Amino acid sequence: MNRFINFYLLSYSVGSLKREKYKNIFVFLVMSLLVALLASTFFLSNAMKSEYNTLIDTYPDIVLQNQKAGVNSTIASSIADKVLLLDGVQNSEARVYGSYYFNRADRKLNIVGINMFAPSLSPFINILMKKYSLDDGQMLVSRGAKALLSKYYYKEYFNFVKSDGSLKKMQIVGTFQENNKLPQPNTLVMLKSDARKIFDYKEGEARDIAIDVANADEVAFIARKIEQLYPSMKVILKEDLRVKYENIYNLRSGFFLTIFIIAFFTFFIIIYDKLSGLNSEKRREIGVLKAIGWRVGDVLNAKLYEGAILSLSAYLTGIFLAFVYVYLLDAPLLKNIFLNNYNLLKNYTINFSVDYETLALLFFLSVPIYIAATVIPSWKIATLDADEVMR
Amino acid sequence: MIELLNVSKEYEGGVKALDGITLSFGEGEVVVLKGMSGSGKSSMLSLIAGLSKPTEGEVIVDTKHISKLADHFATGFRRENIGMIFQKYNLIADLSVKENILLPLVPLNLKGGELEKRLSKELKQFNLLDKKDTQVKKLSGGEQQRCAIARANINNPKIILADEPTANLDEKLSLEFIESLREMKSEKRTIIISTHDPLFFDLDFVDRVIEVRHGKVL
Repeated sequence: MNRFINFYLLSYSVGSLKREKYKNIFVFLVMSLLVALLASTFFLSNAMKSEYNTLIDTYPDIVLQNQKAGVNSTIASSIADKVLLLDGVQNSEARVYGSYYFNRADRKLNIVGINMFAPSLSPFINILMKKYSLDDGQMLVSRGAKALLSKYYYKEYFNFVKSDGSLKKMQIVGTFQENNKLPQPNTLVMLKSDARKIFDYKEGEARDIAIDVANADEVAFIARKIEQLYPSMKVILKEDLRVKYENIYNLRSGFFLTIFIIAFFTFFIIIYDKLSGLNSEKRREIGVLKAIGWRVGDVLNAKLYEGAILSLSAYLTGIFLAFVYVYLLDAPLLKNIFLNNYNLLKNYTINFSVDYETLALLFFLSVPIYIAATVIPSWKIATLDADEVMR
Repeated sequence: MIELLNVSKEYEGGVKALDGITLSFGEGEVVVLKGMSGSGKSSMLSLIAGLSKPTEGEVIVDTKHISKLADHFATGFRRENIGMIFQKYNLIADLSVKENILLPLVPLNLKGGELEKRLSKELKQFNLLDKKDTQVKKLSGGEQQRCAIARANINNPKIILADEPTANLDEKLSLEFIESLREMKSEKRTIIISTHDPLFFDLDFVDRVIEVRHGKVL
């Protein structure tokens, strides 16, 4: 005798599920789809939140931008040296970067200017600089950019059209893999002097100044010092960016919260239907089982198995579908809804990660509730006199 | 073996099914309770089986005060000592003959060999071997009745309670059922049959016929 699992009781429960197969298949499908929908949303939203946090971690603590007529303007590179003299500033860099409109492809190419003799504040650029050496007129292209340029037969070089209509020819000397530390797709890396020529910046001009602070607790304090020094300029903190991005994703999460509520409303209708009582056939069956010697506990165990088999298999199927949808199929449709026009993570491919909190949340919101909804009505009947139930 | 001491049973709405009945049944005795529908025969069987509790009085089965036992213990006692045969068979229509017969053994979690041994004995005894995998809803009335008897018998109970067992059977099938009872009698079971079928009233193996009317023994 197996004291732990009664396989005859289990077999009875499976048989009982089969006897109402259409109803149970419907419940199974609805539950699986609800779990899959919610799990996909959570997986995607959590993966993206973790992704942009990783990305923002690579940002400088403070960015200083020049403003003219309310829009960003170029900034003098020399300000980077002046800021570096402030107590508490660990590093500063005048950054030259921006996007170039490639009209034949109707796509933007993102240009990052580097200085071969000074480390960048971007860890990704520093890794590239260790691997490659660039001269004037040379550039590295990301795999995405390489594919795009090759499509238009630019395999070894590319001609940038400057604002005065003249061309700036750049030789492609290497390619690199885009990753989640690089925010933009189709990236081109070149010397700052070349980038300035393409953007029509004057010598000594930059897009902004990136500043790192030695002590994270002093970032706000240093930012105030910089504001006092350059009152007409805009000072952006990394933490402000984090809040901004969080708000954007929370807004989208809000949209999915609505789906979440609708999904659980549907689920609770099923639960309500179950809790509202058993049909006369089921009542009679419980009465018969008691009459032939089944104790209340035996009836409840059988119902527990029934509820557990159905809800657990629906839960596991839902989670499996969500994994396939999000991680294998890259969440078509849902990913677009999440990203929309916002391109922080445009080149983003979802990285596999197991979010145990989401798995536990969905488990506790579905499986035990369904089991309880299966067991409670049976318990109500099983505790009555068998004679009364069978009458 | 079985004693009913001053037993009354009143249902909701004030319907009095039994009114101060005192009766006893001996071991191995076959007793027929006869009476019209609603006379209280089925209520008496239900109390003996511990399926319900008397409003007054006491029911003692094999020295156990079954009317005072908590549901858990009353069910356990019933499982080990009592086999019930119902008027409408009370089989589970979508289960097979084999599954229905084995139902009382499911909670016991016996070893597979023991289960098969008991099942094959019942299938042979009640001539259901070739029907064992058939759903009971596809069986004839007589076959369903035999299946119900086999289910009642599978635990080797000391007591068999049959409530209007031939109400849905024609005479030929009723006689078949009576033969099954005769066989059970030869196994020294105590058998109580509630019926108004005259076929039972002058059977040679019936020890007593008790008439019940308006909840009282005449």
